[in-house]
Amino acid sequence: MKNIKLFSIMMLVTVLLLAACSEDSSNESSSDNNDGGKKEIEFWTMQLKPTFTDYIEGVISDFEKENPNISIKWVDVPAADLEKKILSAVSSNTAPDVVNLNPTFGSKIAALDGLVNMDEALSDEQKSRYVQGAWKANQLNGNTFAIPWYLNTEVTLNNKAIYEEAGLDPNKPPKTYEKAMEYAKTVKEETGKYGYYPSLDLSLVLQHMVKMGADLTNEEGTKAAFNTQEGLNTFKYFTELYKNDLIPREALTGDQRETIDMYSSGQVGFFAGSNFITQIKKNAPDVYDQTFASQSITGKSGKVTLSVQNVVVPNQTKHQDAAVKFALFLTNAKNQLAFTKLVPILPSAKSALDDPYFSELPEDATATDQVRITAANQLDKAEVLIPPMENYNKLKDAMHDAISAAMLEEMSPQEALDQAEKEWNKILSE
Amino acid sequence: MNRLKFTPYLFLLPGCIILGAFIFYPMLQAIWLSLTDYNMVQQNPNFVGFDNYVRLFQDDLFWKVLGQTILYLVIVVPGLVFLPIFLAILVNQQIKGISFFRSAYYLPVVTSMVVVGIAWKWMYAEQGILNYVLDIMGVIDEPVHWLTQTSTAIFAVMVVTVWKGMGYYMVIYLAGLQAIPDDLYEAARIDGASKWRQIIHITIPLLMPSIMIVSIMSSIAAMKVFEEIYVMTGGGPLNSSSTLVFYIYEQAFDNLEMGYASAAGVILFLITLIFSIINITFMNKKEEAMKG
Repeated sequence: MKNIKLFSIMMLVTVLLLAACSEDSSNESSSDNNDGGKKEIEFWTMQLKPTFTDYIEGVISDFEKENPNISIKWVDVPAADLEKKILSAVSSNTAPDVVNLNPTFGSKIAALDGLVNMDEALSDEQKSRYVQGAWKANQLNGNTFAIPWYLNTEVTLNNKAIYEEAGLDPNKPPKTYEKAMEYAKTVKEETGKYGYYPSLDLSLVLQHMVKMGADLTNEEGTKAAFNTQEGLNTFKYFTELYKNDLIPREALTGDQRETIDMYSSGQVGFFAGSNFITQIKKNAPDVYDQTFASQSITGKSGKVTLSVQNVVVPNQTKHQDAAVKFALFLTNAKNQLAFTKLVPILPSAKSALDDPYFSELPEDATATDQVRITAANQLDKAEVLIPPMENYNKLKDAMHDAISAAMLEEMSPQEALDQAEKEWNKILSE
Repeated sequence: MNRLKFTPYLFLLPGCIILGAFIFYPMLQAIWLSLTDYNMVQQNPNFVGFDNYVRLFQDDLFWKVLGQTILYLVIVVPGLVFLPIFLAILVNQQIKGISFFRSAYYLPVVTSMVVVGIAWKWMYAEQGILNYVLDIMGVIDEPVHWLTQTSTAIFAVMVVTVWKGMGYYMVIYLAGLQAIPDDLYEAARIDGASKWRQIIHITIPLLMPSIMIVSIMSSIAAMKVFEEIYVMTGGGPLNSSSTLVFYIYEQAFDNLEMGYASAAGVILFLITLIFSIINITFMNKKEEAMKG
């Protein structure tokens, strides 16, 4: 008994010591605020090493030459870890100064007031350099929490071999959801393969709804507004695809990686996958050779998805001016244009977009060239379909659960839609 | 005199510090966090009392995943307690190349869960080998959607948990088997006992201490199942394969509700604690009975 007592006392002492340590460190970090000398900016990117090492290092050394009193420490983080790493850095008060984040995750931190408001940090002239749609992608409750870095619009990738096998005309890829279903049926009947693989991962269910003409919420964002004919059509559409085995079952639980895997193994006719063209080229050169790009599949609204990658500056930075300066430098037209030559993305700086690289299809164009030109052509009608929303994850999950219930025929599409509406209204009122 | 008394504790100190730093301190902190609205970003979380617990008990999804966790436990633990006994008896023979089989059965244990999960996912796929084999055997007419329908997803994942864990518990039993003296079997053989009766009346009773350990370890492991679900189904479809740890993970890292997730974590801790206490008292009684 006595031993147990002694053991517990030792444990308690250890724990108290540790608690004391953790208090200390938070006091310490505030003391090096007034560092008069060289400023060090920590810059995090998402999985750019080693493919883009030369590019990023080049940008950094140009910046350091122009700004001798600022040095940049570049840290590259695997994409899957970035969210967790940034969270733990913020929670332990050691956040980096400039971070590459997507709007969804950026808005989560912004909702908790963790990011610098770019509306205040940038002048009007500086703001006007960026594509409007991209700038607006990063607004939450009227504040802009990020600077857009690079963009993409959704482009359909098609496998010519499957088109031919199914007797479809590769010059007429589907542009609408109705056509996509029709093609999926033909491919299934003629080849036994899947024609269409619409992913339902991440925000894609919500995007399909918006494309089919539904509004997600009312203007104020306080009430669900998708329980309409358009919303019902979306639920019915996917239920029908699923019920008739026109899309792979994995569409329900799989992530986007699975979509790419199936397309790369020649089992899928077409899918929205422009972001992954480089990956397909590397992993499945045979399929890449058969691949051609076409404009995004959309519905009644005619809308096309715009995706944006950002740079943000966390509030905890001790050198906000230097951090913003670097963020502006990184996203200026010259640096962005150089970046887009390396990978099929679009720049967020307006002047970079004027380059003929984004409007003229070269002769003997590869699928990668087609993706770039098609994506750039769609830019004027593309928009971020899902605005940053508080409690976004819960909303997204509620919708995914509802449409799954309809697709698995556990509920009728209308019942599922009613359930989603009820859930959304509950979450939105929190 | 006094110095001698404290010396042993000095040797225990490094262990205590490590345990304290990585187990007890985080544990106490989680209990504290479960009483706050901490979300990882704000530096000073607000104290909210038992709000998180109240919300948790009103959350239908929490009860659903709790039920599924218990289902997991009820099915996986017997599998992990009994199947490895037979596996251990099989590889306890003195035949040529037996060490190859021992390592082969142990291989899944040292393979990364992510690799195992992806490989099984392919086997379970609509066009996967499992459906193919069942089809040519005439068991099924059309492919079963193992991981993508609510009725089978969680069971499909359980199979993987059992498959991956078996080798580990087999080794524990193997050590136990080799401690059973041969003369007992010899005596049984002379008395004319069949192989089966030898297992029932000699092997199993003498393996009891190992069986106890395996039951505790596998129950705790089943309570904490996470990776296979994360890799194979993501808790879906419709949360039908989600368990408590997966739910906690989603609340904490997807929804950033650290306080709420900690509250669910404390509940998991209490359940695990109850299991451990039941097991330990049961084991102590058994030991005393054996000594007495």
